[in-house]
Amino acid sequence: MRVRVIRRAAIGAIAALALAGSALAQEPIRIGFHVPLTGFAAGDGNSALLGAELAVEQINAEGGVLDRPLELVVYDDQAAAEQAVPIANRLLGEGVEAVISGSYSAPTRAAAGVFQKESIPYISAYAIHPDITRAGDHVFRTSFMGEVQGRAGAKLVGDIMDKQRVVLITLNNDFGQSLAQGFKEAADQFGIEIVNEYSYGLKDRQFGSIVASVKRDDPEAIYASGYFFTAGPLVSQLRAGGVQAPIIGQEGYDTQQFIDIAASAAEGVIITTSLDRDTEDEAMRAFIEQFEEKAGFPADMVAATTNTAVHVMADAIRRAGEVDPQKIRDALAATEDLPTATGHITFNELGEIRKTVQAQVVRDGAYHRYAVIDDPELLAPPSQ
Amino acid sequence: MFHVELLVVGLIQGCMYAMMALGLTLVYGLLRILHVAHAGLFTLGAYVGVLTANAGLPIGAAALLAIAAAAAAGPLLYHVVYKPLLDKPPHVALIASIGVLIAMTDGFRLLFGPYGIPFQENPWFVTGWSFGGVFLNAIQIALAIAAIVLIGGFAVFATRSRMGVAWRATVTDPAMAMTFGVDPGKVRNLAFAIASGLAAAAGVLVGLLNNLVEPGMGNIVAYKGLAIIVLGGLGNVPGTLVASLILGAAESFGTIYLDALLDRDAIAFVVLIIVLMWRPHGLLVRAR
Repeated sequence: MRVRVIRRAAIGAIAALALAGSALAQEPIRIGFHVPLTGFAAGDGNSALLGAELAVEQINAEGGVLDRPLELVVYDDQAAAEQAVPIANRLLGEGVEAVISGSYSAPTRAAAGVFQKESIPYISAYAIHPDITRAGDHVFRTSFMGEVQGRAGAKLVGDIMDKQRVVLITLNNDFGQSLAQGFKEAADQFGIEIVNEYSYGLKDRQFGSIVASVKRDDPEAIYASGYFFTAGPLVSQLRAGGVQAPIIGQEGYDTQQFIDIAASAAEGVIITTSLDRDTEDEAMRAFIEQFEEKAGFPADMVAATTNTAVHVMADAIRRAGEVDPQKIRDALAATEDLPTATGHITFNELGEIRKTVQAQVVRDGAYHRYAVIDDPELLAPPSQ
Repeated sequence: MFHVELLVVGLIQGCMYAMMALGLTLVYGLLRILHVAHAGLFTLGAYVGVLTANAGLPIGAAALLAIAAAAAAGPLLYHVVYKPLLDKPPHVALIASIGVLIAMTDGFRLLFGPYGIPFQENPWFVTGWSFGGVFLNAIQIALAIAAIVLIGGFAVFATRSRMGVAWRATVTDPAMAMTFGVDPGKVRNLAFAIASGLAAAAGVLVGLLNNLVEPGMGNIVAYKGLAIIVLGGLGNVPGTLVASLILGAAESFGTIYLDALLDRDAIAFVVLIIVLMWRPHGLLVRAR
């Protein structure tokens, strides 16, 4: 009887030691990650997840962070603000000490407040609403604010393309409205006259009346915001309706799916974005090639900025030296000139990035470099 | 000219709504069920259409296949989901219907991916003609023609054919119809087959018009369809058709002129509220 007890205890002790030993060496660093995997935004969510997973693979292939592998704790938020808050609370409950948003502006805005309150560092990969970083000093953003990109669009249209009479077609959510806001702010500076503005909803795919109105307005250029599933139909219907004016979009168009949907109508469409397909930069090239290998389709902006966000967080944890939320936050704020898939990342006091804006054009069914908009004063994000 | 164009575009959109709403009204008239899952058959038609067309079939054949697939799936849906619930209070069938729509939407997403599928070859899309200043592409014209032909065909069927008369009899008074030897089961199967076939036709055409078939594409029409059939007078076919066209036109103008006030999709429901306050039984129905 006693021998059996001792034997069991011994086995138990050895097992515990073995587990503890392996855990000490292997316990992963867990980063929270919320992303729309179902619902209307599932397309972008899928890309974001793939971009993030690629980053984790890239990082772990080089030894991980502080000798520990990186691991994502993934939750599906359906791009809904009311899902994001419970998810944020659940992540906090699980003891996660750094979180990245791979989702749209509405859920990110909601979650940002929660994480700021609990002093957890939070990076918004591609959600562009200005209030996100205003939640506090623990919130950062690795993509352009809507307004900054809108201003870059105004320079692109008015200055680089030299078009004056412009019609705006705006998606009436956080994304579209902040882009339109930025465009309108800078319009005067570049001699742009906004002839008319039309808006549409996220679920619209039929733009017959807007097409008729644009034809009547006869603009020199059209600045249209949207995601690939709205921009694709919109651009096709504009061209099918006989509208010849150049169409300028933004990063929401930046996917292969947009080109597939709009087919021949996509040719010549110009967008402002962060991903330069014709880049010579090593980090960017590596991402573009590795992503296509992993995903089986060409890289898009959402995947690229989410990949960047994970790398930025990992780099901050390395510099912090330990997984402590306050130290990670301070390291994030001190990020300087970090090379990533979407350019060199430096944060300002508000947690926004300062970067040039890429303009890409669709030629022969793929995106190529059109111009680079480099105007530090114009593109400076607010610092509070 | 501009306003004429807005009207024409709106009426064509109305034709699409009509094809959807007719099916909903058919089912409601017969069974008093709000068949929200109808939108799932719309999407099914669109997927069958795009997948067969991308596999090489000409678009006409793909559309016919889509209609056939939905016409088979509709009665199946009735047998599996609605028939067991016929003796329960009406809200049970409604909830089941919403559940089926959600399941179908996510089923399409799981099977065919979240990105949506474009038509690889969409020649009708880029062909178009100008009619006195109003430019319409081939698909918009096809939509209008399809609506007129299919709905007109249904009207002929309902008034001239034996089965059509049997159907109308069952709607008016099921017990009496049965004493005349009408088989209610057959009538119901037919109603679902026709409704679903129409929805599939609408689905393929909308898929072509957008050049995009997505898992959630039915959601836009699902609840608007309910607004339309209420507007038209539940079970009243001519009323539903009129309501569809009016709504299409209202949305077309509203998108441009009411832009600052209202979201386009809200127009349907605001119109619904206003009309119901004025004529509670629907547009063309006389109060009993």
